[in-house]
Amino acid sequence: MKKFNITDFSIKWGFLIVMGVLFTMFSILEPAFISAGNLFNILLSVCIFGTMALGETFVLITDGMDLSIGSTAALSVMISAYLMVVLELGGLITIFIVLGIGIAVGLLIGFLIVKVKIPDLLATLGMMFLVQGLQYIPSGGLSIGRGAVIKNGREAMGHFSEGFKYLGQGRILKVIPVPVLIMLGVAIIVYIILSKTKFGRIFYAIGGNPEAARLVGVNVNKYKVIAYASSSFIASLAGILLAARVGRGDVGSQGTLLMDAIGAALIGFAVLGARKPNPFGTIVGAIFIGMLMNGLTMLSMQYFWQDFIKGSVLVAALAFTFGISKKHG
Amino acid sequence: MNKEPIVEVKNIGMSFGATRALDDVDFNFYPGELLALVGANGAGKSTLIKIICGYHSGYEGQIIIDNKEVDLNSPKEAYDYGIQTVHQIINQGVIQTMTVAENLALEEMLSPDQPILYNYPAIRKRALEIASLMDLDYLDMDAPVFSIPQSDRQMISIARALASNPKLLILDEPTSSISEKEAERLFSTLLKLRDSGVSIVYVSHRLHEITRLADRVGVLRDGKVAGELVVPFSVQNIVHAMVGDIEQEPVKKEDVKVNKNVVKLELKDLVVQEGKPGLNLKIYEGEVLGLTGLIGAGKSELAAVLFGDVKPISGEMYINGELYEPENIGAAIKKGIFMVPEDRNNNAVFPDFSIRQNINMPFLDMFTNKAFVLNTRKERKEAKRMVKAMTVKCESEDSPILSLSGGNQQKVIVARWLMTQSNLVILDEPFQGVDVKSRSEIGQYLRKNIGKSTALVIATDLDEVIDISDRVIVFNHGVMVGEQEAGEIDKEKLIHLTSQTLEEILEPGLVGNVTKGVV
Repeated sequence: MKKFNITDFSIKWGFLIVMGVLFTMFSILEPAFISAGNLFNILLSVCIFGTMALGETFVLITDGMDLSIGSTAALSVMISAYLMVVLELGGLITIFIVLGIGIAVGLLIGFLIVKVKIPDLLATLGMMFLVQGLQYIPSGGLSIGRGAVIKNGREAMGHFSEGFKYLGQGRILKVIPVPVLIMLGVAIIVYIILSKTKFGRIFYAIGGNPEAARLVGVNVNKYKVIAYASSSFIASLAGILLAARVGRGDVGSQGTLLMDAIGAALIGFAVLGARKPNPFGTIVGAIFIGMLMNGLTMLSMQYFWQDFIKGSVLVAALAFTFGISKKHG
Repeated sequence: MNKEPIVEVKNIGMSFGATRALDDVDFNFYPGELLALVGANGAGKSTLIKIICGYHSGYEGQIIIDNKEVDLNSPKEAYDYGIQTVHQIINQGVIQTMTVAENLALEEMLSPDQPILYNYPAIRKRALEIASLMDLDYLDMDAPVFSIPQSDRQMISIARALASNPKLLILDEPTSSISEKEAERLFSTLLKLRDSGVSIVYVSHRLHEITRLADRVGVLRDGKVAGELVVPFSVQNIVHAMVGDIEQEPVKKEDVKVNKNVVKLELKDLVVQEGKPGLNLKIYEGEVLGLTGLIGAGKSELAAVLFGDVKPISGEMYINGELYEPENIGAAIKKGIFMVPEDRNNNAVFPDFSIRQNINMPFLDMFTNKAFVLNTRKERKEAKRMVKAMTVKCESEDSPILSLSGGNQQKVIVARWLMTQSNLVILDEPFQGVDVKSRSEIGQYLRKNIGKSTALVIATDLDEVIDISDRVIVFNHGVMVGEQEAGEIDKEKLIHLTSQTLEEILEPGLVGNVTKGVV
């Protein structure tokens, strides 16, 4: 048995303990916090950006960064609405098209990074603007809902299919929100891919030392493209969930999705002392953000504190992870 | 030595967590003396040096400079006492995006006395003065440092250290990436400096250099002083002090087990560098072939072509009689051509991975089922086998690779490529930064387990090649200039072949011999 070491212990469990303490505190101060309804509300509030964060994890693992996922999700919202409301397509075909567009965006980003050699931050920043702008074009900059008047003066007569809306609004057994289940499903799949399969090992290898990966025969560029395609694919899935939840295509729905998603993935570094992107940490990070916001709101925190608090948590988690554990490298 | 020491260190100790890196170490450094510091990897050389140059402030014990006890807390303080250090990692000593001139005159450029407006011509003038200290006038002063070879970058750091007239000059592995010719230039400068009264501390794994240069050798083992040798001493003496009771076992040349009836790999008129003659070479079953030559002789270029990383300019390669035209590294590996690349840290180690994950990385398919899921149990079993076979010193095969010493990390990287059957394993500078004991263990394992495969061991250091090869070939300026079988190794001749100038090689008459291939 190794000797008990307080530093090692806090690196590994510190974050989860803080989370547990906060949870207990909120429950005591505001008993309504711990009601099943509220707990599902928390999960519901994080499932869009939590799902996106899972996609971002692929990119972060390969030592990249994808800044375009918020825009991609927002684009998916608009395309979903346009396809169903304006073009009056069915729900299923809409989902396929939207996911296809998501993959295409990711492939383009991958191409820009590995072939055109644009640094990842710049390539995805550029694509963020491009995709963000793209969402306005089909509808001429307007939100799309039933009855909306689109460009040519024609009234849009289609509607969101019920099945599609179920993805965002449905509840299994009238309790468990469908999008939360989808997020957890994505989390499990991502976890299996990253921790159990050779692909995960290769992604981590590329992040650790890309040249060494190349010299053991890995096609590094191919895997980088796959990482960006996965990230965009999952972002567009998150966009579908968002569109289904709202039931209309609002312009500019990216909001703070990007920052929340990246924040969740980065907070995930601190969970169990992983110090690297990991799907379990990402989900915990997302839930942590949601719990904190929910709890503080219940305790009458004013909305304008939100971003400040999220930022502080992120910085604290990162400082904790890297500051303490670097001496233990 | 009855002179007063210029720097004394007394009872120096240092711990990193649970590891006692240095314990009760005493050394005196005298003016006009070259002290060589040797020891296996992890013996504490780097730690000692870092303490003396002010990098580690939390040390125990005393440092006495000019009879006064001082407290070194930063490199700047050490520098102000006249202690200059050239560190092992070359790119930490130069600023890549700046020009050669700026790097040479970095001191002046960053000095607070500089005028506010940047005066490049003045910097350049000073840089030329510094360059002449090391005969570096051939460098393009205005070229950015990232565009010049590693060896020149190293020379820049050394020249810069010399420029400040240090009292104590510390060089950590200064020859690990420069050619023998450049090393000669460095040696003559060092000896001149020593004679002018500078105290020099010289750290190197290359014991032959040390026997030529050093007045005294300090040996560290497991963080303690294991001995001090004064001239005259031999490599044997030093090695003995370094590894203690472990007898070095050089590979016996009698047990060459090459099967000359089976050609494993054949190169026909293979051109890997523009304008060089074609290379003809056969490597036989069970053969460990050594390839030596200076930096820039074309060794790595050949390795890159064999490993599928670069396409040959012309010519053909055959494995087991079949034409071999790898599209990329992945294809080469599928054909059983493996490579341990040079520069372990940058090219081979996955720093976040365990020993097991590092070993298995190229062959994940071996451990993967149809759903691409890895079988960790099977992975462990194989990794454990290799760790044991190669005597990697570790807690378990699941320990992080970074918890190992350099020599043991290298064993893991070699194990990676010896785990499965191959046609050829290329080892490019496999003994860089590897202690004598690990080196001999790696070499022996390779020879013992070569079986029906072949190995190409590339090293600039002749000794590293001679020690383990059934046959040695020499490259010089992209040409294969010589070949010697085990048992007929003539070191003088090899050195001569290695150090020939391009003119000597290309002299008519000689060229004919070369292009026909000595095979």
